Amino acid sequence: MPALRVDDLTKSYGQTLALDDLSFEVREGEVFGFLGPNGAGKSTTINVVLDFIRPTAGRVEVLGRDAQAHSRDIRSRTGVLPEGYRTYDRLTARQHLEFAIESKGADDDPEALLERVDLADAIDKKAGGYSKGMAQRLMLAMALVGEPDLLILDEPSTGLDPNGAREMREIVREENARGATVFFSSHSMEQVEAVCDRVGILRNGEMVAVDSVEGLRNSISGGTTLRITVDRIDDEAVQAVRALSDVSNVTIGSEQPPTITAQVEGSKTAVLTALEDHGVDVQDFSTEEASLEDVFQSYTTGTEVHAQ
Amino acid sequence: MSTDVGSGAGSDTTATDAGADAATGGSPSSSINPASVRAVAKKDFRDSIRSWVFWGLSVFFFTLLVATTGVISYFGEDIAAQGETTEALVAMVNGITRLIIPLIALILGWKAIAGERESGSIKVLLSLPHSRKDVLLGKLIGRAAVLTVSLVVGFALAALVVVALLGSFDIVDYGGLLVMSIIYGLAYTSIAVAVSSLTRSTTVAGAGMIGIFVLFYILWDTMLVAFMTLMNMGYLPEGETSAQVMLFFNSLDPGMAYQNVLSLVTSVGDLDGQTVMMLENMFGSVPFYLQDWFAFVILLGWIVVPIAIALFRFDRVDL
Repeated sequence: MPALRVDDLTKSYGQTLALDDLSFEVREGEVFGFLGPNGAGKSTTINVVLDFIRPTAGRVEVLGRDAQAHSRDIRSRTGVLPEGYRTYDRLTARQHLEFAIESKGADDDPEALLERVDLADAIDKKAGGYSKGMAQRLMLAMALVGEPDLLILDEPSTGLDPNGAREMREIVREENARGATVFFSSHSMEQVEAVCDRVGILRNGEMVAVDSVEGLRNSISGGTTLRITVDRIDDEAVQAVRALSDVSNVTIGSEQPPTITAQVEGSKTAVLTALEDHGVDVQDFSTEEASLEDVFQSYTTGTEVHAQ
Repeated sequence: MSTDVGSGAGSDTTATDAGADAATGGSPSSSINPASVRAVAKKDFRDSIRSWVFWGLSVFFFTLLVATTGVISYFGEDIAAQGETTEALVAMVNGITRLIIPLIALILGWKAIAGERESGSIKVLLSLPHSRKDVLLGKLIGRAAVLTVSLVVGFALAALVVVALLGSFDIVDYGGLLVMSIIYGLAYTSIAVAVSSLTRSTTVAGAGMIGIFVLFYILWDTMLVAFMTLMNMGYLPEGETSAQVMLFFNSLDPGMAYQNVLSLVTSVGDLDGQTVMMLENMFGSVPFYLQDWFAFVILLGWIVVPIAIALFRFDRVDL
């Protein structure tokens, strides 16, 4: 049984299509990164999952139950860090957590939870005075109440500094190790690649790729940049390299010794051979793979991938 | 809770859910969980009871009662002579709270739902296992509790002064006014929370509150006057039926019901002999809608109907 199953989900607002026949699954026990640029439909999907909004067509099943008919059951087993929320200004962190604990019928200790998200210092301060990052930590602590089977985190790094984002990923790992399935959305590949088992990339309300991090990397062809250090630049040699199929974007660096950079989809040896055939001495070469950020770019903007 | 693991299409799933969802033909419908309602009400009470609102209201009710008592004890020697001082106090205070309580309730309830939707804090509530119905009912109870507690504190503190100043003190009349004021406040809180749940804009909700205010403070009476004028000018048939309709319509106003219901629990507001005789001449007997028990039903109706409509509708919207 998948932890989350989205079937042909469509959501339109008047003429605007926010989600277009979206289907995907999140397996039990995995960390799934839900990736896409702002406005791709990530929050709309999560809002349907949580029954905040109703689908135009299609169906969502969470923990084996219909998201609309059994929303309360689902939410009692789910920890949520929503997007676009606001904490209650006049309540303290402790009161927020007491409310969550009472609501879920759990017996967590507010102090221990705030310790985990590094907010224990502000436990009796009113949330009205919190920074965005502190509010985010508080909401994460509320999501952890009652050891949920599923964690749904919508842009959890929002407002966190790099250190906070790292701590958040650490908590995701811990929760996953405890047995929780984690579904979290982000607009930045960097946030998800370190913790996710699988990644789904959403673009304009459609899933354009679902794969493991490794699989996504491999799926991009032409992702290798070849950087060659040579003794001298020879125009004919460069022409010969440009003439090779599978080679694009050949540029010449002005430093000493000069370098030639090229995008290579096929054999790197062919490039080196072409240079040496023209009497150019290859002193050194290196390759760089496309970063996942580039993979993400290519899926979400539709432009070609260029490693740097 | 029923289990539906592995069941097929959405309609099949809802059918297994204790029948509750099936009744609405597959459209989303949430249940009510008393523990959830209590949790939401408690949180809302804690959140909305900014100390100055609560103490301000308490002091206001206290001052109102004490000032009215002062006026009676200073000017009302005749009233005192008849031993009806508490009765006079209740009648006078009722005249004022009839106008003030709706204002307070509308202001307290204005942002109850719309404010949470506008700011996004409702996502905090609904990320937890509460249904939308729990949230509405919890909000109604939480906001009504702020008004109720301040009424109780104001009345309780004032009682000491009233006893000292008036000499005679009828606790039944005094308590009756308090209880009916609480119910009256609950009715307007229900109206306010219901209107607040219809929109995600606090501006629109605020306009709705003004609309409610205008409806009950101005339009209701204006309609009666218009009705009477039309009748006098001969555009509407003058007769028993018209009079009945008008009196009935008049009795539906929550403020009128609040005034009429007092005779149920206090010695205030009973129809005097002359009026009773006049009514009996006209209709054969005092019509049911002019009796105090019916006024009580009207008040309960103003609590139940608005929140019931909101409960039905709020389940069906995108937040």
